[in-house]
Amino acid sequence: MKRMLSKFLGALLLISLVLVGCSSETDGDETGSEDGVVLTIGSWRTEDTAAYEKIIEAFNEEHPDIKVEFKPSKNTEYNTILNTALQSGEGPDIIQLRPYAPGMELAKAGYLEPLDELNGIDVFSEEVISAATSDDGKIYGVPLSLNSAQMFYNKKIFEEHGLEEPKTWDEFIELNEKLKEEGVTPIALGTKEGWLLSLAHSIVGPAHYGANDFVDQITTGEKTFTSDEFVSSLKAMDELKEYFPDNYEGLGMEDIRTLFFSGKAAMFPLGSWEIEVLREMNPDLELGFFPMPSAVGKEPTMTTWVDGSYGLNANSKHKEEAKKFLEFMTTEKFAKLFSDELMRIPAIPGVETDDELVTKMAEASEQYSTAYMMLVHFNEGNPTTKAALEAELQGMYLGEQSPEDVAKKLQKNAKTYFTR
Amino acid sequence: MQLETKPNVQTGTKQKKDWKKWVIHLFPIPALAIYVLFIIYPLFAAFTYSLFDWQGIKRGAFIGIENFISLFTKQPFNDMFWNAFQNNILYFVLEMIVQNGIAFVLAYIIYKKVKGAEFFKIAYFLPRLLSVIIVGFLWKLILNPNFGALNVFLNKIGLESWAKPWLGDPDTALIAIILVNSWFGLGFAVLIFLAGLQGIPTNLIEAARLDGAKGLTLICKIILPLMAPAITIITVLTFIHAFEAFELVYAMEGSMGEPYYSTDTLAVYFYRLAFGGSGGASSVAIGLGSALAVVLFTIIATISAVFLYILRKREVEM
Amino acid sequence: MKGRNATRSIYYIIAYFFAAISLYPILLMIYSSFKTNAELFKNPLSIPKSFSLETYQKLLDQIPFFTYFWNSVIVSSVSVTCILLFGSLAAFYIARYTFWWNNLLFFFFLLGMMIPIKLGIVPLFMLMKDLSLINSLWSLIFIYTATGIPLSILILTGFFRTMPVELEEAARMDGATDIKVFWHVLLPIMRPALGTVMIINFIQSWNDFFFPLIFITDEMKKTIPVGMLSLFGEYSADWGSLFAGLTLSSLPMIVLFFIASKQFMEGLTAGAVK
Repeated sequence: MKRMLSKFLGALLLISLVLVGCSSETDGDETGSEDGVVLTIGSWRTEDTAAYEKIIEAFNEEHPDIKVEFKPSKNTEYNTILNTALQSGEGPDIIQLRPYAPGMELAKAGYLEPLDELNGIDVFSEEVISAATSDDGKIYGVPLSLNSAQMFYNKKIFEEHGLEEPKTWDEFIELNEKLKEEGVTPIALGTKEGWLLSLAHSIVGPAHYGANDFVDQITTGEKTFTSDEFVSSLKAMDELKEYFPDNYEGLGMEDIRTLFFSGKAAMFPLGSWEIEVLREMNPDLELGFFPMPSAVGKEPTMTTWVDGSYGLNANSKHKEEAKKFLEFMTTEKFAKLFSDELMRIPAIPGVETDDELVTKMAEASEQYSTAYMMLVHFNEGNPTTKAALEAELQGMYLGEQSPEDVAKKLQKNAKTYFTR
Repeated sequence: MQLETKPNVQTGTKQKKDWKKWVIHLFPIPALAIYVLFIIYPLFAAFTYSLFDWQGIKRGAFIGIENFISLFTKQPFNDMFWNAFQNNILYFVLEMIVQNGIAFVLAYIIYKKVKGAEFFKIAYFLPRLLSVIIVGFLWKLILNPNFGALNVFLNKIGLESWAKPWLGDPDTALIAIILVNSWFGLGFAVLIFLAGLQGIPTNLIEAARLDGAKGLTLICKIILPLMAPAITIITVLTFIHAFEAFELVYAMEGSMGEPYYSTDTLAVYFYRLAFGGSGGASSVAIGLGSALAVVLFTIIATISAVFLYILRKREVEM
Repeated sequence: MKGRNATRSIYYIIAYFFAAISLYPILLMIYSSFKTNAELFKNPLSIPKSFSLETYQKLLDQIPFFTYFWNSVIVSSVSVTCILLFGSLAAFYIARYTFWWNNLLFFFFLLGMMIPIKLGIVPLFMLMKDLSLINSLWSLIFIYTATGIPLSILILTGFFRTMPVELEEAARMDGATDIKVFWHVLLPIMRPALGTVMIINFIQSWNDFFFPLIFITDEMKKTIPVGMLSLFGEYSADWGSLFAGLTLSSLPMIVLFFIASKQFMEGLTAGAVK
């Protein structure tokens, strides 16, 4: 027995000594062997790796001497990894930025290079570029895509139950009632993961607080979160729980997606990036969407925002080369590739996509656009007001508080930093 | 570097004796060097962060203990602190009762020479081999309200009403996580208790038997006191573990301690402050985060020092 | 006698019950990995209808699993070796000599057990950068060695203290030096305790995901847990692949455990409480 253990220990020691020898050798020649410039791109989109390989290939047709590596980390750990690296003066050359305030926080800390002078940056509309503009008025990112959040629906289920896209809020509620009576889960939504709630609120909320007008009023300080308009949007969220699946408190992203693509639920309030995933999971799914009809007699709404701009690391050793790649990201060639490969709407205007649904969504987004208010304007603080909304809505769904309480807490949170 | 201790120790002339006298002081040097460089120094540096004002992830002016004051007086920081603190305490208490209570019973059963003792030891220990992050993912799938094995099983045996969204209901979420943690840590506790039991001199137990002690009396009056070192070690480790609880909560409920902060712990709260949480759920507040780290360290160090002091005192007595 | 039999039956019931609870989730993980998604959602408890290794093939095609595995082996074995050597040297010094600072030193080491080093991750990252260890397995080896040392010293010091002084004195009478006493007299009878330290730390360093997450961005330098982590993000809806990924990540450790389970157990029990 003892001999066995000692042999095991001895073997381990021996192996490790040999291995240290090996590993240090490979460590050595890793960095020195490359002659050309190697750029790295940091991102949280692990699922986009294959598409970026094609994009990089296209870039290399023009700049064969610049090697580019797309190195995504898992979404949930991206900030941790990036922040740690940036604080130590490291990090990827090209950094994907969280939209709006969180991304611009990096600019404020001086980790990003201003990009006002970048060739091609002027193709973006003012509204789009504002997502990557910091308080100092300088541009720090090349906007990547336009996201929209809307109610997806399963066309087949709607047909089977004789339903049509709702034109008013009441029609929307009727439709939910009918589905529920006939034994279909109307809305695939769970409250376990908070971000789903702020996203769902961004779809449902504008119908009640009156979309852009209210956004203007609250950002100028005329209205607050405790104003009736906003409270009614929270109440609407509360009412909708009647139409959520069983056990909705415990359902997360994967669960609700599964419910929807497997035909167990009729509607799915989520972002445009889901199209690709849904189609992959169930190629036969007949996917539709509708802009959310207003409850206060206004236009229906599509919730839109600019997602994931790309910034330039101020500590990059290859700024010139990185700028070339960023310039490439402002071209139509890139935008076309991006939309074809990832089925998403590029931030560059006027690019046609091959996909019917994506094209339709792009049109609707342009026509009925309202801002994702919490993300665009209230994504600061500790926790951010957006995160506070998520947590407090969870509390509401768990029966711990009323919509009014949620509103009060949000107002309190926003006051800590929002002083206009 | 491993080899330097081996050669040149054959002869013992007078000259070499002096050399040998101080060579002993080299013994702790490698451990000390690595430890100071990679643990003490970074922690100390991180602690100093708590005295500065941070704008996002950039260091600002020196502000003394203001971060500490904010942590305990400003909303929502103070609420979050006490909420997480309570959860940590519940974590500790439940682990002591469930994990260590069961572990003691199982260790006692194995000690009583049941057949297949080896099998039991292996079975209980097996979960401990998995990475905590894997454990989190696995149980998330098992506890899934609609497709998860647990609820499906409950429905099958006719206990539909028992089926719950375990991880989504604030009444069950934290308890579910602590139970998963107990599942993970059970085997280790069994082994330590077993070692403690086997370390008790048999003649002491025999003597007590002859005096008429049996069953529970024997366990409470004789065995438990004699196992004090094992119990103290388990208590200290469980305490430290409970107050450092992070990975499992993070893997199963994310950086916000969902749902509605019901599974938040101090370490998760720290992570949120220092790194901004998953996908930027809060702005990065390194100053506050570091202040929390200092507080967390003070709690753990003070209480485990007390435990360890008691342990060593007992050792001397015995 | 009847009463005793009844008690023993209760013992067996309890023991088997908890053995089932301990083992079943792991078995579930393994056999679920052979199921299709449809099967999983329809009937999560049943045994799979057919055993197909397709999911595994798919995963292995997509990720460099054997590279991850190899990295994990290197990192874990080198850091465990360092912990054993450095830890026992320091513990010997603390337990066997009575310099006035020894207790202080002991508690200084124990401090490291009481605080998650995650708190110091930013300075640690800068340190690793200055030592140019980012993206090197050495960063992991150093940090695992450093985090392993406190518990090892706690266990080993306790063990050194229980060893009869006579052994050492006899050796010293024969003119043995400190080094000789340590290496040839005490270490050989310390094996059980060393086994404990080895096992605890091996599991620890094998399973950690936080440090490689921060220090390693190079795909070819990742260890198993962090390498598999990105997989979980990608396959979040594909439970078959998820279970296969989980199984694949856990398998090496479980296999190693069965090969050396006896040593594992002996080691763990022997050195844990002294």
